Amino acid sequence: MLKIDNLHVAVGAEDNKSEIIKGLSLEVPAGEVHAIMGPNGSGKSTLSYTAAGRDGYEATRGSITLEGADILDMDPDERAAKGLFLSFQHPMEIPGVQTMHFIRTAMNSQRKARGEDEVSAADFIKLIREKAKLVGLDDAKLKRPFNVGFSGGEKKRMEMLQMAMFEPTFSIMDETDSGLDIDALKMVGDVVNALRGPGRGFLVITHYQRLLEYIKPDRVHVLAGGRIVKSGGANLAAELEKSGYDQFVEAA
Amino acid sequence: MSNSLLINPSAFEAGLEAAFRARTSVTETHGAAYERFASQHLPNRRREGWKWSDYNAALRSVSPASAPDAVETIAPSAFAPLDPIEIQIVNGRVILPTDAAPKGVRFGIMDAVGTIPELETHAIASMNVAMSPKAFGLEIKNGVLFNRPVLIRHIGNGAAPIFSQTMIRVGEKAFATIIETYEGATPALASHLCHLVIRDGGSLNRFIMNETDDNTVNHSICAAKIEERAHFRQTSLSTGARLSRHETVLHFWGEGAKAQIDSAALLRSDRHADFTTHVLHKAPGCETRQLHKGVADEKGRAVFQGKFEVQRAAQKTDAKMTANALLLSNGAEANHKPELEIYADDVECAHGSTCGALDADALFYLRQRGLNEHQARALLIEAFAGEVIDVIENDEIREVYTAKVSQWLEARA
Repeated sequence: MLKIDNLHVAVGAEDNKSEIIKGLSLEVPAGEVHAIMGPNGSGKSTLSYTAAGRDGYEATRGSITLEGADILDMDPDERAAKGLFLSFQHPMEIPGVQTMHFIRTAMNSQRKARGEDEVSAADFIKLIREKAKLVGLDDAKLKRPFNVGFSGGEKKRMEMLQMAMFEPTFSIMDETDSGLDIDALKMVGDVVNALRGPGRGFLVITHYQRLLEYIKPDRVHVLAGGRIVKSGGANLAAELEKSGYDQFVEAA
Repeated sequence: MSNSLLINPSAFEAGLEAAFRARTSVTETHGAAYERFASQHLPNRRREGWKWSDYNAALRSVSPASAPDAVETIAPSAFAPLDPIEIQIVNGRVILPTDAAPKGVRFGIMDAVGTIPELETHAIASMNVAMSPKAFGLEIKNGVLFNRPVLIRHIGNGAAPIFSQTMIRVGEKAFATIIETYEGATPALASHLCHLVIRDGGSLNRFIMNETDDNTVNHSICAAKIEERAHFRQTSLSTGARLSRHETVLHFWGEGAKAQIDSAALLRSDRHADFTTHVLHKAPGCETRQLHKGVADEKGRAVFQGKFEVQRAAQKTDAKMTANALLLSNGAEANHKPELEIYADDVECAHGSTCGALDADALFYLRQRGLNEHQARALLIEAFAGEVIDVIENDEIREVYTAKVSQWLEARA
């Protein structure tokens, strides 16, 4: 499903680029959830921004394909229409942008790009009410400008709301668990587990193992120094929690 | 022109003088106003307050025609669905609606406004006083809450300078909504002067929409006298012109009055819009809120000059001014001059001014969600201008403004 092959990414100013991702290879087959764990500065967010197509995060070598299609040449919105969703580590507040209007515009743009019919206003309202309930955001929050005045936890709920609405083929969740309490972690687990299925994949980026108690990963990878240094089953997360990342920082 | 009052007049000024001399029934007021104009000339960039809006440069070589072109057909206004009382001022000539004024409201054509003390030293206002043939007058009587909007359309056409005046009086505890639109094509200056008075406890909502063409040079100035506990609320939207300036001069005469003055400019090609305001707090406990949003694309130029003046007697004044500019291309320009001049010691006054491009982080976020670049940019621009537009309380009026913004965004290349 998502295949990253020998990826190299350099970021920074044009004349002062530094390589953050140094030959990363990873494959998440359809239907699986993989977790990436790693210390600060190991390149986790760089990987998610590169996959999503943020300016300044261009791959210098290697490839990322989603369902066989090379996505590195696509615009960010083309990747979104292809079914790639990024749950942001630090979601934006966007003053003046009406939340419902934005999510509906986004949803319809994706559908239009895929040659699907737009969702009607009535169906949209019904759907967003249902999903808002699932992620624990009340109606009043949906009527506010996008994320304005929201707590960190509420912003993450808004990310999960969009993920639940768009039902993306592949989701990259960049530290969705940071700043969340137990109830919210459980909610994230509910959203992921409801979407989990043969046609979808997830890459869960996290520091800690606790989210993985709610989202059972098929594989766990350790990212350090810009490449995957170890891969294993779900139990690797628990091992890391005990032993820490220091060993891998050395190895990288 | 042997005894011209102007020293080295430009072609335009010479034409104006000829037009003034051709006027019949020139009163002493007209003569004095003309002399005040002639002693100053048209403002140029070296004049304080005119640095970014040089009327002399824009008009210098324009030879004004002696009569404007006829306006054959007037398209219905975008505000027509509101069923307003519609007054058209076509090339300076007032056309009243055929139906009679409702109870509690009086309107009609009246003698032109004499000199307004607040504007005595203003060159273009003086020229307007010297040249205006007649004025449109509107009065909302004491205690009358008049919900039907009054639409005043300033429509111009052709190569002659155009002058018009409106006088508006909102009575004690009365309420009115005025919409003023500036339409058409007036390359040789359209000048509008508005004098308004809001009596004790009265309330006026004034909406301005400037949608003149690329070649237009226009100037509008409004002097407002706001009495005790009166409320004045003004929302302006301009898509600019070759040179365009809307000036608002507010004087708080009585205690506890409030004003909110919001403006937005959406500019492209080489259009220009200048919002210049001067709020004079003369009485204690008045409140002013001002928000300006300027969007400039291509070679557009958004000018904002705001001044709050607080006299010694105006203790407990609460005044806040914010001006934000959004520049969408390298050739675009924004010029801001916020000013506070405070002589009282127990006041809360603040101003803030920002200028920047679209937020790259927000753009990426929106595009990650599936919006293409055009949609993402449009949504953010709409949100930026929306801080002025979205707070319009009247749903129907807000919709017209929102539609105007959308129309501007859709035309973006």
